[in-house]
Amino acid sequence: MKRVLYIVVGLFILLASSLTAKTLTVWVGGQVAELDRTWNEVISKFEKQTGTKVEVQLFGFDTYYDHLVTAYQGGMGPDLAFADLGGWVPTFASQGWIESIDSNLASWEGKEEIWENLWSTVTYQGKIYGLPWYTDCRLLMYNKQMFRDSGLNPENPPETWEELVYDAIKLTNTNKRIYGYGVSGTKTEHTTLGYMIFLYSAGGKLLTDDYSKAAFNTPEGLRALKFYTDLALKYNVSPNPLSYHEDDYRNLMVQNRVAMSIGGPWSFPLIETANPDLDYSVSVHPYAVAPASVLGGWALVISKNSSNKDLAWELASYLTSYETWMYWVEQEHGPMPTRKDVCRDAPYFQQDEKWQVIFDTFPNAVARPPISEWPQVSEQIQIMVQDVLLGNSSPEEAINKAEVKVNEILGN
Amino acid sequence: MLKLSKTERTAYKMILPYVLIIVALIIILLSSNVYLSFIDDQGNLTFSNYVEVIKDPVFLIMLKNTVIWTIFSVAGQLLLGLLVAILLNQIKKGEVIYRSIILILPWATLDIVAGVTWKWMFNDMYGVINDLLMKFGFISDYISWLAYPNLALTAVIIANIWKGFSLSGLFFLAGLQAIPNQLYEAAEIDGANAFQKFTHITIPQLKPILTTTLMFTTIWTINYFPLIYTMTGGGPGYGTETFVTYIYRISFKFLDYNKAAALSNILFVIILFISLLYLRSLAKEDA
Repeated sequence: MKRVLYIVVGLFILLASSLTAKTLTVWVGGQVAELDRTWNEVISKFEKQTGTKVEVQLFGFDTYYDHLVTAYQGGMGPDLAFADLGGWVPTFASQGWIESIDSNLASWEGKEEIWENLWSTVTYQGKIYGLPWYTDCRLLMYNKQMFRDSGLNPENPPETWEELVYDAIKLTNTNKRIYGYGVSGTKTEHTTLGYMIFLYSAGGKLLTDDYSKAAFNTPEGLRALKFYTDLALKYNVSPNPLSYHEDDYRNLMVQNRVAMSIGGPWSFPLIETANPDLDYSVSVHPYAVAPASVLGGWALVISKNSSNKDLAWELASYLTSYETWMYWVEQEHGPMPTRKDVCRDAPYFQQDEKWQVIFDTFPNAVARPPISEWPQVSEQIQIMVQDVLLGNSSPEEAINKAEVKVNEILGN
Repeated sequence: MLKLSKTERTAYKMILPYVLIIVALIIILLSSNVYLSFIDDQGNLTFSNYVEVIKDPVFLIMLKNTVIWTIFSVAGQLLLGLLVAILLNQIKKGEVIYRSIILILPWATLDIVAGVTWKWMFNDMYGVINDLLMKFGFISDYISWLAYPNLALTAVIIANIWKGFSLSGLFFLAGLQAIPNQLYEAAEIDGANAFQKFTHITIPQLKPILTTTLMFTTIWTINYFPLIYTMTGGGPGYGTETFVTYIYRISFKFLDYNKAAALSNILFVIILFISLLYLRSLAKEDA
């Protein structure tokens, strides 16, 4: 009997001591999830430094958003979570799910080093809610071998829309199902991103600066919509855009079926896994008026219900520190850090021309509007592009309709 | 008052917690859904969620899609299921192998796997369906199946018929095997041909199973989400948007829980109505 008592008491002590060591839950979704070795090293170093236990949960990108939203909705969100820079942060902030980090940032060494155009993606009603951790911007990816095969100079990718059409027509051979440029036209975010790059490079913009109204129904916006859809309808240089988006085109590029498409730094490891010998490069996406790009990436956000907010911030700032990032890039060669000093100093980036193109393009990159209505707005852009591609409406009708709808969504 | 034996009482006590949890969950979830559908963002009581979702032009489109999707999927699944069940019923040698390949395989395939596989098969650059149609000379150029609303709806219905026919087939096969052989023998003596035997014996004998299967597949098809989600995501345009993909979009993409609740309540009433219709026709048959 006494022995049983000892065992029970012993178990209680064990349980109590395991409860006093603080546990921090972190949810990771999307591409970071694949970089597990370095991630584990970085996390266990943090655990040793602070005596905290960090519990990491990985999710595939497809299901991550639903999991996260369901957890927040039920008040069970993780202490620290990765949130997509494409409008998640203001959405979560508007629902009251995450905590503002303004006071933490005030005393943080790295604030000046974060690329300036990232802050708008994590701001809601003047307050900052997320710490951008890694980022990217969209560029033109092209298959050098296909350029060579069509008699084009692979060191001279198209710079303007005219050159884009000229090269794409040369590269296309519809009988063999080989295409020059991949237009994204599926009912997914890719279509919105594709249109946005053409819109901004024609000198237009999506919404007014205070995000209160649609601003794309202008001659520039119409020109972009016409050109984007004409690439498929008139010039016939793209596979049927309604069935494909940029991820599909990346795979088709690896198979030498599509010569150019929109891509970014996240594509490099995927391409190199699929076909290590593929001769490809990147350049600034062709433009009509000015170079343009759309940025994306992930921020770290702290749950409002967390009982370990200080610790969560400590981990977030540790992950975003100069030392952690330098080590990470040395090990993993990517993704693109949100810190300018790391982009400048890391030896790996210095010797790769592709990364230099990215850093040159990045200051021109715009963010998706950081508003909680973004998913609805984005859907209207997708419908607009699809209506033109399906021949349901003329570009003029489609853009008028989209403007009315977007203004309705934004409450006008 | 019913007298229960000791073992019965113990059994009731043991399942009680389970029953309570299930009932509580259903009541809590259902009532919170009803409550959500009648309040606005500020928490005031309102009917506007219902008015707005019905007034939205997408509502009619997705209602039409849901009806087409349900009627053709159910009809296809039941017909194909019946045909396969009758054929399988004739096989006497190695029936286990045939049954497991034909009836279990499509049903046991994961929804997402099936969706992605069909998406690839319909692909317009290297899809096997285009390749076969072209080799047999039905088409002169590859078709972009998932790129046009009507074709895309056809494509998801075809995939759904494949995914669902096996379950109806399984039910029908069980029903066919329960039909006593004497009936057929008697009919043969009376000089009935195969078609007469089918219409006068098989169909009437199968009728209870047919009705039940019809009800289940109808409700399942209306509520079925993964195939459409993986194959088309509701697009192109609103071409394959059905009730459930629309509710999903509104709640998980737009975070408009109140409207999503209103929509799912409307769907609940529709399904309840269909079930009542079936139950009444079943009751009539029994009488």
